[in-house]
Amino acid sequence: MDPKELAALEIRRRTFLGYGVSGLGLLALNSLINPRLFASESPATGGSKGVVNPLHFPPRAKRVIFLYQAGGPSHLETFDPKPKLAELDGKPMPESFTQGQQLAQLQGKKLICFGPQHGFKRFGKSGLEICELFPEIGSVADDICIVRSMTTEQINHDPAHTVMNTGVIIAGRPSMGSWVLYGLGSEAEDLPGFIVLISSGKGGQMQPIAARQWSSGFLPSRFQGVKFNSIGDPVLYIKNPQGIDANVQNASIQAINALNKAEYETVKDPEVLTRIAQYEMAFKMQTSVPGLMDTSKEPQHILDMYGAKPGDGSFASNCLLARRLAERGVRFIQLYHRDWDHHGGIKANIAIKARETDRATAALIKDLKQRGMLQDTLVIWGGEFGRTPMSQGGDGRDHHIKGFSFMLAGGGIKGGLVYGATDDLGYAAEQNPVSVHDFHATVLYLLGIDHRRLTVKYQGQDARLTFVFGEVVKGIVA
Amino acid sequence: MSRIRLVSSFLSVILLSATLRAEVGFNRDIRPIMSDTCFRCHGPDKNARMAGLRLDIREEALKPAMDGKIPIVPGRPDQSEIIRRIFSTDSSEIMPPEFSHKTLTQEQKETIRRWVAEGAPYEGHWSFQPVKRPPVPKVSDGGTPIRNPIDAFVQARLAKEGLKPSPEADRRTLIRRVTLDLTGLPPTPTEVEQFVNDKSPDAYEKVVTRLLASPRYAEMQTMHWLDAVRYADTRGFHGDNEQPAWPYRDYVLRAFRDNKPFDEFTREQIAGDLIPNATIEQKVASAYNRILRTSQEGGIQEKEYLAKYGADRVRTTSGVWLGLTTGCAECHDHKFDPIKSKDFYAMKAFFADIKEKGLLPGRGEDAWASTLQLPTEAQAKRLAELNEEVRRAERALEEKTGSLKAREAMWEKQLSEDFKAGRLKWQYQRPFAAKSERGAVLKIYNDELLESNYYVVTRGAASGATKREPGNGTVVASGPNPDNETYTIRFRPGPGTWTALGVQAMQDESLPGMRLARGADRFVLTEVEAELSANEKAPGKKLLLVLATTDGFGEAPENLPMAAIDGNPSTGWGVSDGEGKNPFLALRFAEPAQTTAASVITVRLRHDSPLRRATIGRVRLALSTGRYSWPELGDAAVDAGLPVDEGRLIKGGVRDGVPVDVLKALKIEPAHRSEAQTKALREHFQWSDAELQPLFVKLEQLKASRSLLEAEIPTVLVTQSVAPRETRILPRGNWMDDSGEIVEPAIPQFLGKLTTGGRRATRLDLANWIVSRDNPLTGRVYVNRLWQQFFGTGLSKVLNDLGSQGEWPSHPELLDWLAAEFMEPAWQAEGTHPWDVKHIIRTIVLSHTYRQSSAVTPELEERDPDNRLLARQTRFRVDAEVVHDIALSVSGLLIEKFGGPSVKPYQPEGYWAALNFPKREYSTSEGKNLYRRGVYTHWQRTFLHPTLAAFDAPSREECTVNRVNSNTPLQALVLLNDPIFVEAARVFAQKTIKTAGPTFDKRIDWAFTQALGRKPTATERRILADLHQKTLQDFSASPANAQSLLRVGEAPVDKSLKPVELAAMTVVTRAILNLHETITRN
Repeated sequence: MDPKELAALEIRRRTFLGYGVSGLGLLALNSLINPRLFASESPATGGSKGVVNPLHFPPRAKRVIFLYQAGGPSHLETFDPKPKLAELDGKPMPESFTQGQQLAQLQGKKLICFGPQHGFKRFGKSGLEICELFPEIGSVADDICIVRSMTTEQINHDPAHTVMNTGVIIAGRPSMGSWVLYGLGSEAEDLPGFIVLISSGKGGQMQPIAARQWSSGFLPSRFQGVKFNSIGDPVLYIKNPQGIDANVQNASIQAINALNKAEYETVKDPEVLTRIAQYEMAFKMQTSVPGLMDTSKEPQHILDMYGAKPGDGSFASNCLLARRLAERGVRFIQLYHRDWDHHGGIKANIAIKARETDRATAALIKDLKQRGMLQDTLVIWGGEFGRTPMSQGGDGRDHHIKGFSFMLAGGGIKGGLVYGATDDLGYAAEQNPVSVHDFHATVLYLLGIDHRRLTVKYQGQDARLTFVFGEVVKGIVA
Repeated sequence: MSRIRLVSSFLSVILLSATLRAEVGFNRDIRPIMSDTCFRCHGPDKNARMAGLRLDIREEALKPAMDGKIPIVPGRPDQSEIIRRIFSTDSSEIMPPEFSHKTLTQEQKETIRRWVAEGAPYEGHWSFQPVKRPPVPKVSDGGTPIRNPIDAFVQARLAKEGLKPSPEADRRTLIRRVTLDLTGLPPTPTEVEQFVNDKSPDAYEKVVTRLLASPRYAEMQTMHWLDAVRYADTRGFHGDNEQPAWPYRDYVLRAFRDNKPFDEFTREQIAGDLIPNATIEQKVASAYNRILRTSQEGGIQEKEYLAKYGADRVRTTSGVWLGLTTGCAECHDHKFDPIKSKDFYAMKAFFADIKEKGLLPGRGEDAWASTLQLPTEAQAKRLAELNEEVRRAERALEEKTGSLKAREAMWEKQLSEDFKAGRLKWQYQRPFAAKSERGAVLKIYNDELLESNYYVVTRGAASGATKREPGNGTVVASGPNPDNETYTIRFRPGPGTWTALGVQAMQDESLPGMRLARGADRFVLTEVEAELSANEKAPGKKLLLVLATTDGFGEAPENLPMAAIDGNPSTGWGVSDGEGKNPFLALRFAEPAQTTAASVITVRLRHDSPLRRATIGRVRLALSTGRYSWPELGDAAVDAGLPVDEGRLIKGGVRDGVPVDVLKALKIEPAHRSEAQTKALREHFQWSDAELQPLFVKLEQLKASRSLLEAEIPTVLVTQSVAPRETRILPRGNWMDDSGEIVEPAIPQFLGKLTTGGRRATRLDLANWIVSRDNPLTGRVYVNRLWQQFFGTGLSKVLNDLGSQGEWPSHPELLDWLAAEFMEPAWQAEGTHPWDVKHIIRTIVLSHTYRQSSAVTPELEERDPDNRLLARQTRFRVDAEVVHDIALSVSGLLIEKFGGPSVKPYQPEGYWAALNFPKREYSTSEGKNLYRRGVYTHWQRTFLHPTLAAFDAPSREECTVNRVNSNTPLQALVLLNDPIFVEAARVFAQKTIKTAGPTFDKRIDWAFTQALGRKPTATERRILADLHQKTLQDFSASPANAQSLLRVGEAPVDKSLKPVELAAMTVVTRAILNLHETITRN
């Protein structure tokens, strides 16, 4: 959609409000701004509240929960069994694999094969091979698809995150969540449509994550990810200032909006109406968000299922929050779990990460399933890259971009499936490689969007999430 | 989508109806269509070209294509293949084809047909044509003032459209508008009244002159410029650590204040270092090349990051000055503009001489590749003195050492014996009491199990580790976390003679400040004090500390160990770099301390640094009996018994209080020692010997003073030119591919060629060309950006792209006139100079076009909803920094100081939790620095201050010339709840009550006028009176709430006012600060 069309949409919205406002009270304003009113529901192909309406394809998923394992989880100790690598443990890495290729900290060092540090087992009816550190994920093996042939372009954390989220290394482009929100709009009444949660645990080098990763880039900022904090104030500035109770806050917002409405009556600038609606939305968020973030009222068996302790800010708690956000119509939920950067001590450290994520990941899938939501919620598990089959320092692995694994479930994904493969040593994606662009194209496809057609004019281009690349990976679609 | 298309085609009918009257213009009418729908396959990019057909060049388009058909036959649409194809209804033939997802409207097709019928004249792209000053149109007197040529251009166009300009805005609106636009601050009520009552004909001119002369004008322009040149205080990649940049920001401030000619301004930034006899100012300006995003992530590829940095400079320089989007040419020829990949790399080659590194360290000898120190005269003098004093002290120490040869030999023997006997081992103490002064909870872990989650670095790789073991004397701080804190720790060492005290900070993952402190990015131990008492109850006797030593790892120059015993509460020892450490401070007693079984030693650890919460989180104390024990290594990996790279350890590590390199040297016969070994021993002797102690201590003190002074001297990144690196075209942008052609510096070919007589062109040549009359772009690009500041939209809307995918300007002649006037003033040119920024701004704001009312009539709303014809002014929300500055200014909190280091206003705790290397917590500025203008706010690229970010300030990771202007619920939350706005409301309320008189009506009038320059209406007064009444009741019922509200922020509370009354008034002023009108420029 080009800016002219965007503007037209905006004008239409404004004109609509302009007609509507004079006879209506303040309370009605919010419903006027509610984007639902602008969506023509066409259930056949699926309507949308965003710019893609009707949808390009019948949607298989309505929302996404991306369990982003930041730091670069080793595929060799999670989802990609490599018995051959075990055989070569301690021997030089065959040069045929590595010659002329980019390495990070191992550049110019002697390359030694480093066998998988933990065993693999077969799980489920489908017999998926998964590292034995992840028995809970194993227990939902028949619901998940493992893609073993991911590739990316950037070998250092920060740019690799930016590629995984925006498709491009240069800052300033919208992240996938923003694209999705822009394309589909939000169904949440009193919550942002794109929410980010971050947790960290133990046992790894904690790499930083920039706010750029959930930026709306050149899309309007209402499409940006809003970071919710699982400890402290859930949203920045969501709490009233000390000494201002709910009554005073309410009276203040009423007064501000009444004054703004008086201004509108004089100047007829629709921007003022938007401002009024945003104050109402802010107040709604102030009322609803703290309760939403408080998981202490979840039944004990649910807390146990996830392994979550209310308010502990753990990945488990965030998984539970993700479900609650999904239930409330949040379109794109991204959970970053940090510390997967295992340059050293990978054997012990990855076991720690497994303990932190295995149960909660599986619980989320089971919980969504028992609520009938898994079928239209796409769950993604993976990080910005994988790790080398060669050792670093004798007990760790370096960054690796030629082949790594992702796990997907729900929302149109074929369960019990392994897709793609790396070579015998887990070095390069050999069979059905899936680039980050392909991954993006596929996520959009599952949501009913043709990645080639979700565009916005930027710097003279019809910019899109997948740049000029991307093929939908039909093989993983149910 | 269909509904939207309907609206948009309706719009294009409106737009088109304007164009149908005249001949079809290629640039205005045809190029935008073709660029959008044809050029992707039939344009400049030869790799993407289909059917061998090229439509962007006339000669090509008139030649028969591969199939023999002629695309365009001038004057004969019926014979032109493109006309047949675009009107075709056959889906296999129609152009653009279905797979492109592009369609032409009926009107667009007709326009192309008419253009072919009219002979298919081509024009070069408008912005690539030389700037020629167009004649100013004559406009018949329609009763609206024509104050300068701007009005003539605008009104001539309006007359053609049958529209009339709006009348001048009322004076209150006008002065608020022009004051906000020019200075970023609202006018004071006095300024408003003066202007309203000024009957002189040049009343408005006087206001403009006053505003342009204000340093605030420079602050406002600087804010815009910093977006473009991607200025930030941090480096942007990975750890996003601070970079020395703010003196460059101050250069920009001065340049705008002094109205530096834009050509000079340009030259100095791109190539200040290459200007013959470059001044300090010009060198500082060259920081422009260096403030880009850089990385010091371990394991990055040198070459890859050099490629990234080079590409950034091409993108930024093109964006800032040329208005071209060159980014895509990094990988392929531009699809729409004649910018080739070769042009991109040739441009990059200009910057290949910049001294830099891919992995650019922020510390050490290679820190930042090249920086410039900017001492004041006094600082320079003091530094020279200190250097001399240090030299003298060193000499004195050397001479004395030389006279003690025999002693040295004896000392060596003694040292070996002491080491073997274990007399130099530090003895960790088990405290029996630990208390804090300001509320932190201190818990002692002696035999108690303490869980630690810490960080180890083994063989260059870092990882986490967890242990649970007896604390063995560790004191852990938790609970309340005051900005400054003093820990008092007491222990009984037992009978003995003690020579030194050790203080060790213990790292833990739970500690946000470098894993060592409870806040900030480091701990700062400002003073250590020790006392000896005969028993627990007896009064203490001070134990004087004379020398402080560490292994020096990770210390910033301003945090050297001697600062912990210098008696100065604002200086201290701290560690702010390096990972996996438990830093250890060895403090020597002036006299050995004798203790009995009952003796108690009390140690006070003061943290009084202005850096808030730089307080140690976990600490252990130790004593030594030896003369003297070297500080413990404090390497977590070594402590954990993990394999470490010994070469990496300072002095090869430490064993039982002796550095390993000293131990090794001791074992070797003096005659066989290497120079390094002799030196290691000699230095250790100097450090240990009692006779040398006074000289040694003196030297250490001087070095610490010098280091502190050096840390105070501002430093800035600058450009230093070295032999240029080879620059190759990187196929598809791949930095590993060395197969591309080597290129020399050159400007994009389609814009011409530099003549250097065979000499390699330099950045200075580039800069000179950028501001030469041969370059059609710079003038247009900059005046177009200026225009946006004053109307909300550029004359050509796409500010970052004046290429063919940009927008045909709404007023091309006006844009060209302004560009010509910018480069060479001719209109009211007295007192101006070429490239005169203030002259253009002055001309713009003096025009009637600028002064118009923004009121929208139904006719204008329908005819020109986006106000591109400029028959009125535009209302828009002010920029993020201005939102902040308005609240501070209206409340009276604002502290105006021109320039200086960036400041850190309040920010929610934990906002930086996702940062690392180092792990750190924000430390809010103190005192006046809390209330500075937004332009001085610390710009953290990966986590920009949330208030700025909420109001659309860009992260400045990349060049940004058009901020978005959004309206979100997060903005409401910020204005309502961010403490700076609450504090501003409270101070505003205090002032209102004190100044406005006793009645509520008077107070409301006064406050309203402060904020908005006008009195409230009856309705507004009633709404606020109601709010006041309700709130007063609420606070009267719960006065604790009132007290609590008044405690927000650090500005003093006026104790003479009744808390309940002040709190209620605060709620009212807070509402005023939240009004849409308050943050809108009308």
